[in-house]
Amino acid sequence: MSSRIEILNDGGFRSDGRKQYELRDVLIDLSQQGTADGSAQISHGLTQVLVTVFGPREAKMRSHTLHDRAVLNVEMSVAPFSTGERRKRSKADRRILEMASMIASTFEPVVQTTLYPRSQIDIYVHVLQQDGSLLPACINATTLALITAGVPLHDFVCAVTGGVHSTSPLLDLTTVEENDIPHMTVAVMPRTQKVTLVTMETRLHVERFRELFELACEAGQTIHKEMKLAVKDRTVVLVGAMDAGLKGVAVDDRDRDVVMEDRI
Amino acid sequence: MSATLVSKSERAYIQASLQTTPPLRADGRSLLDFRTVLLETGVAPLANGSAKLNIGKLAREGGGGTEVLAAVKLEVEDVESGDGVDGGRVACSVTCSPSAYPHLTSNALDDLQHDLTVILQQTIAHPSLHPSNLAIIPGRRAWLLNLDAVILVDSGNVVDALFMAARAALWDTKVPRTRPVAYQAPSVSKNAVKENQDSMDVDQGTSSLDTRDMGRTAADFELPDYWDEGEVLQGRERWPVSVTLNLLPPIHLLDATLTEEASVPLRLHLMFSFPSSAPPTLQSMRLSGPGELDLVYLKSCIADGEKYARGLFTALESKLREEDVRRNAKARDRFAALR
Repeated sequence: MSSRIEILNDGGFRSDGRKQYELRDVLIDLSQQGTADGSAQISHGLTQVLVTVFGPREAKMRSHTLHDRAVLNVEMSVAPFSTGERRKRSKADRRILEMASMIASTFEPVVQTTLYPRSQIDIYVHVLQQDGSLLPACINATTLALITAGVPLHDFVCAVTGGVHSTSPLLDLTTVEENDIPHMTVAVMPRTQKVTLVTMETRLHVERFRELFELACEAGQTIHKEMKLAVKDRTVVLVGAMDAGLKGVAVDDRDRDVVMEDRI
Repeated sequence: MSATLVSKSERAYIQASLQTTPPLRADGRSLLDFRTVLLETGVAPLANGSAKLNIGKLAREGGGGTEVLAAVKLEVEDVESGDGVDGGRVACSVTCSPSAYPHLTSNALDDLQHDLTVILQQTIAHPSLHPSNLAIIPGRRAWLLNLDAVILVDSGNVVDALFMAARAALWDTKVPRTRPVAYQAPSVSKNAVKENQDSMDVDQGTSSLDTRDMGRTAADFELPDYWDEGEVLQGRERWPVSVTLNLLPPIHLLDATLTEEASVPLRLHLMFSFPSSAPPTLQSMRLSGPGELDLVYLKSCIADGEKYARGLFTALESKLREEDVRRNAKARDRFAALR
């Protein structure tokens, strides 16, 4: 099936009409979810992930805590209708556990865990839709959720998937592309110029690696700009709300309808 | 399912304020008022039907409220060798996100998930509601309808939200049109269709496809047009709505928040179906909580519940029809305007 789909055509366009280095639309929603301390919903094209963060708080099981720093507990759940073929994965599914542990190990050096000894930070990842680049979406959403929860981080973590089709590198792959070409995921810390995750499950020629890696690091910077913009927008709204609280509620807001797309 | 723990004094305070005249609720509603219900269909592009429902979203903050996501996915099942059932079957599942119940252990969460799955499965998959167009080829192939609901946030009244989301997703579901196909060798007379594919003589290269009037003899099926343009589930008006009466005799309240749920001793879940040409039916009923109830009072509760469910049904129905228009007619107009 995959052989019939042209990954990159002669005009330099990919199967969804993007150019080689073009990323998909990034939509970020940082509105509050229930009682969570922080939450973020991000969509990269058709891939959609919701992350909620609780903590730092006392662990449910005291034996799981560490005396000198906080523990990151990542739990992941994949909606059964998120893929083309319906598949119900249990929480103990190996693929899911592996993803969760990858997210945890990505964030361990970034979160300032030493500030909260004997406590736990719970990160719940919900995958609502999948269309490639799942791990980067989870990582980006986790960064934003931790920021909205006010957990101190050394830096943002911005992740992106890159692949190579014959000799031309591609960025932000869809499922179709991921099934067909070698690809890897890179998570960068844009300000400190460090890399916290590089993972690859396919084989890639060693001469192609350098170019792709540098390209993915650069794309991380672009995603960082988007994420920073979203965080800044939310902060502006919050600061505005604090001022409004002092002055009294603005009158024109009163008769506004509630809509599903209401977001900060 | 009383999720939050409230102290004795808090419970007494809430109960006392509910029983004063006029009754007082923390958010200023009267006893029978619902919070704002928001509904959107077609939220999962890979599903055959889907809906997202929110009860009680805060106007300015853009968050809060019970939030449920439901989606229907259809699968083809083999009736003869697989575990399919002639005429199709319906399977429901409910997943509770750990962030909706941050204080529950994962075992308690599994129990809650199971409880809700049982309520949904027993009500939705009941033979009296079974849609007739889930069959593909009688005795051979049938659709399996998977209804998956995810509870993202629980801030009270989760059962009503679950059933409303399920109803919206089922309403939105399109079953792909199918056409039965049989393989036929030309030497055989037109009426005798060979059922067994193994006996077909492939080497001749003259076997032909016949798609006319197959009935029971069809071997397989094909999809004649694009999959999204299928037909809706038969009898989609019948899918039930649930209304939960939180009983604090002699009063009852609707759409309770978490703290109110924790302060009332009894909850009565009533699932009503409103067929267009028949009187309403009570599809299922659950009583939960530690209290007890006498029969006469229960009967009056059911009569009241039917009235509230009727209101809920009418509102939901008009919203669903509006969504149908938004997603079909308006989307077509917008597309035409772009060209």
